[in-house]
Amino acid sequence: MNRYFIFFLLILLGSGQRSSAQESPYFVTYDHHLEEPGNLEIETFSTMGIPRSGQHFYAAPYMEFEYGVTGRWTSELYLEAQGTAGDSTVFTGWRLENRFRPLKREHFLNPVLYVEYEHISEASRIQKEIVGGGPDVTSPNSELHPIKAHELETKLILSSTVHDWNIAGNFIVEKNLSESEGFEFGYAFGFARPLASLASGSECRLCRENFIAGLEFYGGLGSTEDGFSVHNTAHYVAPVVSWQLSDNGSFHFSPGFALTHEGSPVLIRFGYSYELRGFGSKVAQLLGGKH
Amino acid sequence: MRGVLLTIMTIGLLGVIFAQNTSYQQDPKWQVPADAAGKLNPLAQKPEATAGGKKLFQRNCVECHGATGAGVEKKHAADLQLSAVQQQSDGALYWKITNGNTDRGMPSFSRLPELQRWQLVLYLRTLKPTSDVQSNASVK
Repeated sequence: MNRYFIFFLLILLGSGQRSSAQESPYFVTYDHHLEEPGNLEIETFSTMGIPRSGQHFYAAPYMEFEYGVTGRWTSELYLEAQGTAGDSTVFTGWRLENRFRPLKREHFLNPVLYVEYEHISEASRIQKEIVGGGPDVTSPNSELHPIKAHELETKLILSSTVHDWNIAGNFIVEKNLSESEGFEFGYAFGFARPLASLASGSECRLCRENFIAGLEFYGGLGSTEDGFSVHNTAHYVAPVVSWQLSDNGSFHFSPGFALTHEGSPVLIRFGYSYELRGFGSKVAQLLGGKH
Repeated sequence: MRGVLLTIMTIGLLGVIFAQNTSYQQDPKWQVPADAAGKLNPLAQKPEATAGGKKLFQRNCVECHGATGAGVEKKHAADLQLSAVQQQSDGALYWKITNGNTDRGMPSFSRLPELQRWQLVLYLRTLKPTSDVQSNASVK
Protein backbone atom coordinates (compact mmCIF):
# COMPACT_ATOMS: atom_id res chain seq x y z
CA MET A 1 0.00 0.00 0.00
CA ASN A 2 2.81 2.37 1.02
CA ARG A 3 4.68 1.62 -2.22
CA TYR A 4 1.68 2.66 -4.27
CA PHE A 5 1.32 5.83 -2.21
CA ILE A 6 4.98 6.79 -2.76
CA PHE A 7 4.65 5.94 -6.47
CA PHE A 8 1.64 8.23 -6.80
CA LEU A 9 3.34 10.99 -4.77
CA LEU A 10 6.41 10.85 -7.02
CA ILE A 11 4.22 11.27 -10.07
CA LEU A 12 2.44 14.22 -8.49
CA LEU A 13 5.68 15.92 -7.49
CA GLY A 14 7.25 15.22 -10.85
CA SER A 15 4.26 16.71 -12.61
CA GLY A 16 4.25 20.00 -10.79
CA GLN A 17 5.24 22.08 -13.77
CA ARG A 18 3.97 25.28 -15.24
CA SER A 19 0.52 24.99 -16.60
CA SER A 20 -1.82 27.30 -18.41
CA ALA A 21 -4.93 26.56 -16.36
CA GLN A 22 -7.20 29.33 -17.82
CA GLU A 23 -10.00 27.23 -16.45
CA SER A 24 -13.59 27.68 -17.40
CA PRO A 25 -15.37 29.47 -14.55
CA TYR A 26 -18.61 27.50 -14.97
CA PHE A 27 -19.79 25.00 -12.41
CA VAL A 28 -22.69 23.48 -14.34
CA THR A 29 -22.32 24.57 -17.97
CA TYR A 30 -19.74 22.83 -20.15
CA ASP A 31 -17.93 24.56 -22.98
CA HIS A 32 -16.02 22.94 -25.86
CA HIS A 33 -12.58 23.16 -24.28
CA LEU A 34 -11.32 19.75 -23.25
CA GLU A 35 -8.41 18.78 -21.04
CA GLU A 36 -5.05 18.82 -22.80
CA PRO A 37 -3.92 15.30 -23.72
CA GLY A 38 -1.91 13.63 -20.97
CA ASN A 39 -2.82 16.22 -18.33
CA LEU A 40 -4.63 15.34 -15.12
CA GLU A 41 -6.67 17.94 -13.33
CA ILE A 42 -7.63 17.32 -9.73
CA GLU A 43 -10.54 19.41 -8.54
CA THR A 44 -12.22 19.68 -5.19
CA PHE A 45 -15.56 21.47 -5.13
CA SER A 46 -18.50 21.96 -2.80
CA THR A 47 -22.13 22.84 -3.27
CA MET A 48 -23.80 24.33 -0.20
CA GLY A 49 -27.55 24.75 0.01
CA ILE A 50 -28.93 27.65 2.03
CA PRO A 51 -32.27 26.39 3.38
CA ARG A 52 -35.72 27.83 3.11
CA SER A 53 -38.42 27.06 5.68
CA GLY A 54 -38.67 23.33 6.31
CA GLN A 55 -35.24 22.60 4.88
CA HIS A 56 -31.83 22.13 6.47
CA PHE A 57 -28.45 23.55 5.49
CA TYR A 58 -26.36 21.01 3.59
CA ALA A 59 -22.90 20.81 2.08
CA ALA A 60 -22.11 18.43 -0.77
CA PRO A 61 -18.35 18.16 -1.49
CA TYR A 62 -17.05 16.32 -4.51
CA MET A 63 -13.73 15.53 -6.15
CA GLU A 64 -13.07 15.37 -9.84
CA PHE A 65 -10.17 13.67 -11.61
CA GLU A 66 -10.17 14.93 -15.17
CA TYR A 67 -7.80 13.38 -17.68
CA GLY A 68 -7.14 14.30 -21.29
CA VAL A 69 -7.08 10.93 -23.04
CA THR A 70 -6.58 12.50 -26.46
CA GLY A 71 -6.99 15.97 -27.88
CA ARG A 72 -10.65 15.23 -28.52
CA TRP A 73 -11.55 12.95 -25.62
CA THR A 74 -11.61 13.84 -21.94
CA SER A 75 -12.56 11.38 -19.22
CA GLU A 76 -13.51 12.31 -15.68
CA LEU A 77 -14.16 10.45 -12.42
CA TYR A 78 -16.23 12.02 -9.65
CA LEU A 79 -16.48 11.01 -6.01
CA GLU A 80 -19.17 12.76 -4.02
CA ALA A 81 -20.61 13.06 -0.52
CA GLN A 82 -23.20 15.06 1.36
CA GLY A 83 -23.71 16.27 4.91
CA THR A 84 -26.90 17.84 6.23
CA ALA A 85 -27.16 19.88 9.44
CA GLY A 86 -29.05 17.96 12.10
CA ASP A 87 -28.90 14.85 9.94
CA SER A 88 -26.00 12.67 8.78
CA THR A 89 -23.03 12.68 6.40
CA VAL A 90 -23.06 10.11 3.63
CA PHE A 91 -20.93 9.07 0.66
CA THR A 92 -23.35 9.50 -2.19
CA GLY A 93 -21.50 7.69 -4.96
CA TRP A 94 -19.40 8.12 -8.09
CA ARG A 95 -19.75 9.17 -11.69
CA LEU A 96 -17.71 8.44 -14.79
CA GLU A 97 -17.98 11.05 -17.47
CA ASN A 98 -16.65 11.19 -21.03
CA ARG A 99 -16.66 14.11 -23.42
CA PHE A 100 -15.94 13.80 -27.12
CA ARG A 101 -15.32 16.54 -29.58
CA PRO A 102 -16.33 15.30 -33.04
CA LEU A 103 -14.95 18.21 -35.08
CA LYS A 104 -11.24 18.77 -35.41
CA ARG A 105 -11.08 22.52 -35.92
CA GLU A 106 -12.59 25.55 -34.23
CA HIS A 107 -15.93 26.51 -35.73
CA PHE A 108 -18.47 29.19 -34.95
CA LEU A 109 -20.46 26.55 -33.06
CA ASN A 110 -18.44 23.70 -31.56
CA PRO A 111 -20.36 20.58 -30.56
CA VAL A 112 -19.22 18.21 -27.82
CA LEU A 113 -20.94 14.92 -26.98
CA TYR A 114 -21.15 14.01 -23.32
CA VAL A 115 -21.94 10.60 -21.82
CA GLU A 116 -21.91 9.88 -18.10
CA TYR A 117 -22.69 6.86 -15.97
CA GLU A 118 -23.74 7.63 -12.40
CA HIS A 119 -23.79 5.21 -9.50
CA ILE A 120 -25.26 7.46 -6.84
CA SER A 121 -27.87 7.52 -4.11
CA GLU A 122 -30.93 9.74 -4.06
CA ALA A 123 -29.20 11.74 -1.30
CA SER A 124 -26.82 13.24 -3.91
CA ARG A 125 -26.94 17.04 -3.77
CA ILE A 126 -23.85 18.21 -5.66
CA GLN A 127 -26.20 19.39 -8.42
CA LYS A 128 -23.64 19.29 -11.20
CA GLU A 129 -26.74 19.36 -13.33
CA ILE A 130 -30.40 19.81 -12.56
CA VAL A 131 -32.84 17.57 -14.38
CA GLY A 132 -36.54 16.85 -13.98
CA GLY A 133 -37.78 18.64 -10.89
CA GLY A 134 -34.34 18.83 -9.26
CA PRO A 135 -33.06 16.89 -6.23
CA ASP A 136 -35.06 16.23 -3.07
CA VAL A 137 -33.48 18.60 -0.52
CA THR A 138 -36.19 18.14 2.12
CA SER A 139 -36.31 14.41 2.96
CA PRO A 140 -33.80 13.06 5.51
CA ASN A 141 -30.75 11.06 4.47
CA SER A 142 -32.13 7.98 6.21
CA GLU A 143 -34.90 7.91 3.60
CA LEU A 144 -32.91 9.00 0.56
CA HIS A 145 -29.55 7.29 0.95
CA PRO A 146 -30.77 3.67 0.75
CA ILE A 147 -32.31 4.40 -2.66
CA LYS A 148 -29.54 3.75 -5.17
CA ALA A 149 -29.68 4.97 -8.72
CA HIS A 150 -27.81 3.79 -11.80
CA GLU A 151 -28.23 6.64 -14.20
CA LEU A 152 -27.13 7.36 -17.72
CA GLU A 153 -26.79 11.01 -18.58
CA THR A 154 -26.12 12.50 -21.98
CA LYS A 155 -25.56 16.10 -22.98
CA LEU A 156 -25.30 17.96 -26.20
CA ILE A 157 -22.82 20.76 -25.59
CA LEU A 158 -22.72 23.65 -28.04
CA SER A 159 -20.10 26.29 -27.44
CA SER A 160 -18.81 29.30 -29.27
CA THR A 161 -15.97 31.77 -28.91
CA VAL A 162 -16.97 35.27 -29.97
CA HIS A 163 -13.98 37.56 -29.59
CA ASP A 164 -13.03 36.95 -25.97
CA TRP A 165 -16.45 35.73 -24.89
CA ASN A 166 -17.32 32.11 -24.44
CA ILE A 167 -20.98 31.32 -24.94
CA ALA A 168 -22.12 27.78 -24.18
CA GLY A 169 -25.40 25.92 -23.98
CA ASN A 170 -26.07 22.36 -22.83
CA PHE A 171 -29.17 20.21 -23.34
CA ILE A 172 -29.33 17.35 -20.85
CA VAL A 173 -31.17 14.02 -21.03
CA GLU A 174 -30.97 11.63 -18.09
CA LYS A 175 -32.35 8.12 -17.66
CA ASN A 176 -32.52 6.33 -14.34
CA LEU A 177 -31.76 2.72 -15.23
CA SER A 178 -32.91 1.51 -11.79
CA GLU A 179 -36.42 2.95 -11.84
CA SER A 180 -39.15 3.40 -14.39
CA GLU A 181 -39.02 7.19 -14.33
CA GLY A 182 -38.93 7.89 -18.03
CA PHE A 183 -36.41 10.42 -19.32
CA GLU A 184 -35.61 13.61 -17.41
CA PHE A 185 -34.45 16.79 -19.07
CA GLY A 186 -32.45 19.82 -18.10
CA TYR A 187 -30.47 22.72 -19.50
CA ALA A 188 -27.50 24.93 -18.73
CA PHE A 189 -26.44 28.11 -20.47
CA GLY A 190 -23.55 30.39 -19.71
CA PHE A 191 -21.30 33.13 -20.97
CA ALA A 192 -17.97 34.34 -19.62
CA ARG A 193 -14.85 36.26 -20.55
CA PRO A 194 -11.46 37.12 -19.04
CA LEU A 195 -11.28 40.54 -17.41
CA ALA A 196 -8.25 41.49 -19.53
CA SER A 197 -7.33 40.57 -23.08
CA LEU A 198 -3.62 41.28 -23.00
CA ALA A 199 -1.15 39.41 -20.80
CA SER A 200 1.18 41.62 -18.82
CA GLY A 201 4.89 40.98 -18.97
CA SER A 202 5.29 40.43 -15.25
CA GLU A 203 4.23 37.58 -13.02
CA CYS A 204 1.24 38.82 -11.06
CA ARG A 205 -1.60 37.12 -9.29
CA LEU A 206 -4.03 39.98 -8.86
CA CYS A 207 -3.86 41.17 -12.48
CA ARG A 208 -7.17 41.27 -14.31
CA GLU A 209 -5.89 38.74 -16.84
CA ASN A 210 -6.05 36.07 -14.11
CA PHE A 211 -9.79 36.46 -13.59
CA ILE A 212 -12.61 35.11 -15.73
CA ALA A 213 -16.14 36.19 -14.89
CA GLY A 214 -19.52 35.33 -16.29
CA LEU A 215 -23.06 34.23 -15.66
CA GLU A 216 -24.77 30.88 -15.96
CA PHE A 217 -28.36 29.70 -15.91
CA TYR A 218 -29.41 26.13 -15.23
CA GLY A 219 -32.49 24.16 -14.34
CA GLY A 220 -34.79 21.23 -14.95
CA LEU A 221 -37.12 20.77 -17.89
CA GLY A 222 -39.34 18.06 -16.43
CA SER A 223 -39.55 14.51 -17.72
CA THR A 224 -41.46 12.30 -20.12
CA GLU A 225 -43.57 11.25 -17.11
CA ASP A 226 -44.86 14.78 -16.52
CA GLY A 227 -45.02 15.89 -20.12
CA PHE A 228 -41.75 17.76 -20.55
CA SER A 229 -42.97 20.67 -18.43
CA VAL A 230 -41.14 23.28 -16.35
CA HIS A 231 -43.91 23.11 -13.73
CA ASN A 232 -42.39 22.33 -10.28
CA THR A 233 -38.82 22.54 -11.53
CA ALA A 234 -35.83 24.37 -10.07
CA HIS A 235 -34.06 27.11 -12.03
CA TYR A 236 -31.05 29.18 -11.01
CA VAL A 237 -29.13 32.20 -12.18
CA ALA A 238 -25.53 32.23 -10.99
CA PRO A 239 -22.66 34.70 -11.43
CA VAL A 240 -19.39 32.77 -11.81
CA VAL A 241 -15.79 33.79 -11.31
CA SER A 242 -12.48 31.94 -11.50
CA TRP A 243 -9.14 33.24 -10.32
CA GLN A 244 -5.89 31.73 -11.46
CA LEU A 245 -3.99 31.63 -8.19
CA SER A 246 -0.85 30.00 -9.50
CA ASP A 247 0.45 28.54 -12.73
CA ASN A 248 -1.20 25.26 -11.81
CA GLY A 249 -4.14 26.14 -9.65
CA SER A 250 -7.31 28.16 -9.81
CA PHE A 251 -10.09 29.05 -7.41
CA HIS A 252 -13.74 29.11 -8.48
CA PHE A 253 -16.76 30.69 -6.84
CA SER A 254 -20.41 31.03 -7.72
CA PRO A 255 -23.52 31.98 -5.75
CA GLY A 256 -26.65 30.63 -7.45
CA PHE A 257 -30.04 32.23 -6.85
CA ALA A 258 -33.27 30.32 -7.32
CA LEU A 259 -35.74 31.71 -9.82
CA THR A 260 -38.55 29.40 -8.63
CA HIS A 261 -39.72 28.05 -5.29
CA GLU A 262 -38.28 24.57 -5.88
CA GLY A 263 -35.00 23.38 -4.36
CA SER A 264 -32.73 25.52 -2.22
CA PRO A 265 -33.18 29.31 -2.50
CA VAL A 266 -29.40 29.88 -2.73
CA LEU A 267 -26.62 27.53 -3.82
CA ILE A 268 -23.09 28.54 -2.86
CA ARG A 269 -20.49 26.78 -4.97
CA PHE A 270 -16.74 27.02 -4.63
CA GLY A 271 -13.70 24.92 -5.35
CA TYR A 272 -10.05 24.66 -6.26
CA SER A 273 -8.54 22.89 -9.25
CA TYR A 274 -4.93 21.86 -9.76
CA GLU A 275 -3.51 20.72 -13.07
CA LEU A 276 -0.75 18.13 -13.39
CA ARG A 277 0.85 18.62 -16.78
CA GLY A 278 2.29 15.59 -18.56
CA PHE A 279 0.82 13.20 -16.01
CA GLY A 280 0.14 10.47 -18.57
CA SER A 281 3.66 10.43 -20.00
CA LYS A 282 5.20 10.41 -16.53
CA VAL A 283 3.13 7.40 -15.53
CA ALA A 284 4.12 5.70 -18.79
CA GLN A 285 7.80 6.48 -18.11
CA LEU A 286 7.64 5.05 -14.60
CA LEU A 287 5.97 1.93 -15.94
CA GLY A 288 8.65 1.59 -18.61
CA GLY A 289 6.52 2.79 -21.50
CA LYS A 290 7.71 4.62 -24.60
CA HIS A 291 6.43 8.15 -23.80
CA MET B 1 35.93 24.98 -10.63
CA ARG B 2 36.12 26.29 -14.18
CA GLY B 3 36.37 22.74 -15.51
CA VAL B 4 33.26 21.69 -13.58
CA LEU B 5 31.33 24.66 -14.96
CA LEU B 6 32.53 23.88 -18.47
CA THR B 7 31.46 20.24 -18.09
CA ILE B 8 28.03 21.26 -16.80
CA MET B 9 27.59 23.72 -19.65
CA THR B 10 28.68 21.11 -22.22
CA ILE B 11 26.29 18.53 -20.79
CA GLY B 12 23.52 21.15 -20.75
CA LEU B 13 24.21 22.09 -24.36
CA LEU B 14 24.31 18.46 -25.44
CA GLY B 15 21.06 17.91 -23.57
CA VAL B 16 19.42 20.73 -25.49
CA ILE B 17 20.81 19.47 -28.80
CA PHE B 18 19.71 15.90 -28.23
CA ALA B 19 16.34 16.99 -26.86
CA GLN B 20 15.66 18.95 -30.03
CA ASN B 21 13.13 17.43 -32.30
CA THR B 22 15.19 17.06 -35.41
CA SER B 23 13.06 14.16 -36.61
CA TYR B 24 9.81 16.07 -36.72
CA GLN B 25 7.72 15.44 -39.80
CA GLN B 26 5.23 17.97 -41.03
CA ASP B 27 1.59 16.96 -41.05
CA PRO B 28 0.53 17.57 -44.68
CA LYS B 29 -3.13 17.66 -43.60
CA TRP B 30 -2.56 20.67 -41.35
CA GLN B 31 -3.17 23.35 -43.93
CA VAL B 32 -3.99 26.93 -43.05
CA PRO B 33 -6.87 28.49 -45.07
CA ALA B 34 -5.65 31.35 -47.24
CA ASP B 35 -7.83 34.00 -45.59
CA ALA B 36 -6.53 33.01 -42.13
CA ALA B 37 -2.92 33.04 -43.31
CA GLY B 38 -3.38 36.57 -44.61
CA LYS B 39 -4.45 38.04 -41.25
CA LEU B 40 -2.15 40.69 -39.84
CA ASN B 41 -1.02 40.79 -36.24
CA PRO B 42 -2.86 43.69 -34.56
CA LEU B 43 0.05 43.94 -32.08
CA ALA B 44 2.72 44.17 -34.75
CA GLN B 45 3.37 47.82 -33.84
CA LYS B 46 3.40 47.07 -30.10
CA PRO B 47 6.67 45.25 -29.38
CA GLU B 48 6.15 45.90 -25.67
CA ALA B 49 3.45 43.19 -25.78
CA THR B 50 6.17 40.59 -26.49
CA ALA B 51 6.99 40.26 -22.79
CA GLY B 52 3.44 39.06 -22.14
CA GLY B 53 3.86 36.65 -25.06
CA LYS B 54 6.96 35.24 -23.44
CA LYS B 55 5.07 34.64 -20.21
CA LEU B 56 2.26 32.92 -22.11
CA PHE B 57 4.79 30.80 -24.01
CA GLN B 58 6.37 29.68 -20.75
CA ARG B 59 2.97 28.77 -19.34
CA ASN B 60 1.47 27.09 -22.36
CA CYS B 61 4.13 25.93 -24.79
CA VAL B 62 7.34 25.03 -22.94
CA GLU B 63 6.08 21.57 -21.98
CA CYS B 64 6.22 20.41 -25.61
CA HIS B 65 8.30 23.00 -27.48
CA GLY B 66 10.95 23.51 -24.80
CA ALA B 67 12.19 26.73 -23.23
CA THR B 68 14.03 27.73 -26.39
CA GLY B 69 11.24 26.59 -28.70
CA ALA B 70 13.48 23.88 -30.13
CA GLY B 71 10.81 21.22 -29.65
CA VAL B 72 10.95 18.25 -27.31
CA GLU B 73 11.53 15.14 -29.39
CA LYS B 74 9.63 12.74 -27.16
CA LYS B 75 6.62 15.04 -27.47
CA HIS B 76 6.98 15.00 -31.28
CA ALA B 77 6.76 18.79 -31.12
CA ALA B 78 8.12 21.07 -33.83
CA ASP B 79 11.30 23.11 -33.59
CA LEU B 80 9.85 26.62 -33.68
CA GLN B 81 13.25 28.11 -34.45
CA LEU B 82 13.42 26.54 -37.90
CA SER B 83 13.15 28.94 -40.79
CA ALA B 84 10.36 26.76 -42.20
CA VAL B 85 8.34 27.84 -39.18
CA GLN B 86 9.60 31.41 -39.02
CA GLN B 87 8.78 31.92 -42.71
CA GLN B 88 5.10 31.26 -42.06
CA SER B 89 2.89 34.34 -41.85
CA ASP B 90 1.65 35.73 -38.54
CA GLY B 91 -1.86 34.74 -39.57
CA ALA B 92 -0.80 31.13 -40.20
CA LEU B 93 0.86 30.84 -36.78
CA TYR B 94 -2.17 32.44 -35.12
CA TRP B 95 -4.48 29.96 -36.88
CA LYS B 96 -2.34 27.02 -35.78
CA ILE B 97 -2.30 28.20 -32.16
CA THR B 98 -6.06 28.73 -32.27
CA ASN B 99 -7.05 25.44 -33.86
CA GLY B 100 -4.31 23.12 -32.73
CA ASN B 101 -3.76 19.78 -34.44
CA THR B 102 -5.44 17.43 -32.03
CA ASP B 103 -4.65 14.28 -33.98
CA ARG B 104 -0.94 15.04 -33.57
CA GLY B 105 -1.12 16.13 -29.93
CA MET B 106 -1.15 19.91 -30.41
CA PRO B 107 -4.09 21.26 -28.38
CA SER B 108 -6.25 24.18 -29.40
CA PHE B 109 -5.56 27.38 -27.48
CA SER B 110 -8.79 29.08 -28.43
CA ARG B 111 -9.43 29.37 -24.69
CA LEU B 112 -6.87 32.17 -24.60
CA PRO B 113 -8.17 35.63 -25.55
CA GLU B 114 -7.45 36.63 -29.15
CA LEU B 115 -4.86 39.25 -28.25
CA GLN B 116 -2.98 36.79 -26.06
CA ARG B 117 -2.72 34.40 -29.02
CA TRP B 118 -1.31 37.29 -31.08
CA GLN B 119 1.13 37.97 -28.22
CA LEU B 120 2.32 34.39 -28.59
CA VAL B 121 2.94 35.01 -32.29
CA LEU B 122 4.95 38.12 -31.38
CA TYR B 123 7.10 36.07 -29.03
CA LEU B 124 7.57 33.23 -31.55
CA ARG B 125 9.20 35.79 -33.84
CA THR B 126 11.89 36.44 -31.23
CA LEU B 127 13.02 32.80 -31.10
CA LYS B 128 16.49 32.57 -32.52
CA PRO B 129 16.19 31.09 -36.00
CA THR B 130 18.37 28.14 -36.91
CA SER B 131 19.08 26.59 -40.28
CA ASP B 132 16.61 23.86 -41.16
CA VAL B 133 17.63 20.39 -40.20
CA GLN B 134 14.75 19.25 -42.34
CA SER B 135 13.33 21.45 -45.00
CA ASN B 136 9.79 20.26 -44.40
CA ALA B 137 9.52 20.93 -40.68
CA SER B 138 6.59 22.95 -39.50
CA VAL B 139 4.70 23.96 -36.40
CA LYS B 140 3.03 20.92 -34.93
